[in-house]
Amino acid sequence: MVSSKKEMIRIVDLHKKFGHLHVLKGVNLVVKKGDVLVIIGPSGSGKSTLLRSVNLLEKPTSGHIYLDGEEITGKNVNENNTRQRIGMVFQNFNLFPNMTVLGNVTIALTKVLKMKRKDAEKTGINLLTKVGLKDKINGFPNQLSGGQKQRVAIARALAMNPEAILFDEVTSALDPELVKEVLDVMKDLAKSGMTMLVVTHEMGFAKEVGTHVIFMDEGLILEEGLATDIFDNPQHPRTKAFLAAVLS
Amino acid sequence: MQGLIDLADKYFNFPIMREVFPFLLKGALWTIIFSASSEIIGIIFGLTTAVIRVTKIKVLSQIAVIYVDLFRGTPLLMQIIFVYYALPYVGINLPAPIAGIVALSINSGAYVSEIFRAGIESIDKGQLEAARSLGMSYMQALRYVIIPQTMKRVLPPLTNEFVALIKDSSLLSVIAISELMRTAKELMTWKMNPSSLTAAAILYLLITIPLTRLVSYLENKMKRSEI
Repeated sequence: MVSSKKEMIRIVDLHKKFGHLHVLKGVNLVVKKGDVLVIIGPSGSGKSTLLRSVNLLEKPTSGHIYLDGEEITGKNVNENNTRQRIGMVFQNFNLFPNMTVLGNVTIALTKVLKMKRKDAEKTGINLLTKVGLKDKINGFPNQLSGGQKQRVAIARALAMNPEAILFDEVTSALDPELVKEVLDVMKDLAKSGMTMLVVTHEMGFAKEVGTHVIFMDEGLILEEGLATDIFDNPQHPRTKAFLAAVLS
Repeated sequence: MQGLIDLADKYFNFPIMREVFPFLLKGALWTIIFSASSEIIGIIFGLTTAVIRVTKIKVLSQIAVIYVDLFRGTPLLMQIIFVYYALPYVGINLPAPIAGIVALSINSGAYVSEIFRAGIESIDKGQLEAARSLGMSYMQALRYVIIPQTMKRVLPPLTNEFVALIKDSSLLSVIAISELMRTAKELMTWKMNPSSLTAAAILYLLITIPLTRLVSYLENKMKRSEI
């Protein structure tokens, strides 16, 4: 199936070492606009490191990353500008406790994009309404449940109108009954055409919403393909073993 | 027994203490003025230095390290003497009170900078990552996310440092500044009796004890909320 969608992210021969620890051993990947790429694999396989390399929270030891055709790992590229274009949602929410919920969503709009406060607040209220938290806009993060915090975090990432959003195990720290509300927001986001890279253990979500899957182990992509193919018909023995263990 | 009577007469002589009290109060006022102004300036120096160290700006952060090591590693008494007696040789003639505030501020700044640096580094890394992933520069992240959160955390150690500064301000007595310590010493000579020292000690306690109680209160308050 040849996709005519444009290429959003290209990763070429990405290596990452932490001291002597070789975590990413040559990753190659293409993500097209609108793809929902699910990254699965055992702990320590490099999934998070790969995700965090895309927005340069981790700087590659070697290799190249391209965003919409431009190399973001180039010498003179301003990484702050790159990060405006890629959003990220974290396992531990990382909301800013010293601001209101609305403040969390608008801070980057006013301070980074230099938007006027009124416009920023309008955008913020819109997004918070979209994720179902309109009544919490003047509350503080410590008054929210985990699921609410994560929805605020998603709104915060969306506020910057990013070209892609990275999700790093965003439901792993949630109580089970709060997971659905977050996955529902992510589902809507995917439907609206957002390019998403999702590291997750939520296989149900992956099957339902993911378009493509990569299985990582020990710093390499062992298998990749369409979500339906990987889940229904994994080829690599380690992929089979992992899925068997996880889906049982 | 006779020893105790002598002690009471020499060091706890209440009539004398009552007599010298108004003078000591004036000295205490100066102690507070010198300490408070030096602390404020010290906080400005300290926060600036901490930010420089944390952002690791090439030459400046190395200077910052030297500054902190130098002024935490040498006696304040030496620093005061240098500022007042040595600087005139290179044309900087500071009147004693100014020299006193300069020395106290620079010294305080060195300690405060470490307090802020520890505070900044104690903020969860995820806060910085979230800020940067929104496109903020390191400076913007510090300014809007990290340092505001640091402020609450540094209040207890900053208050402790202020108490230390108040006691250290007694060293200004060596450059003829009439703060509490010097006033007490002069009164001792005048009255030929060391009870002025005791009275001065009580005044120091009256200043420092509320502050140390404040520290405990702040620490408890912070333990209860999750900052």
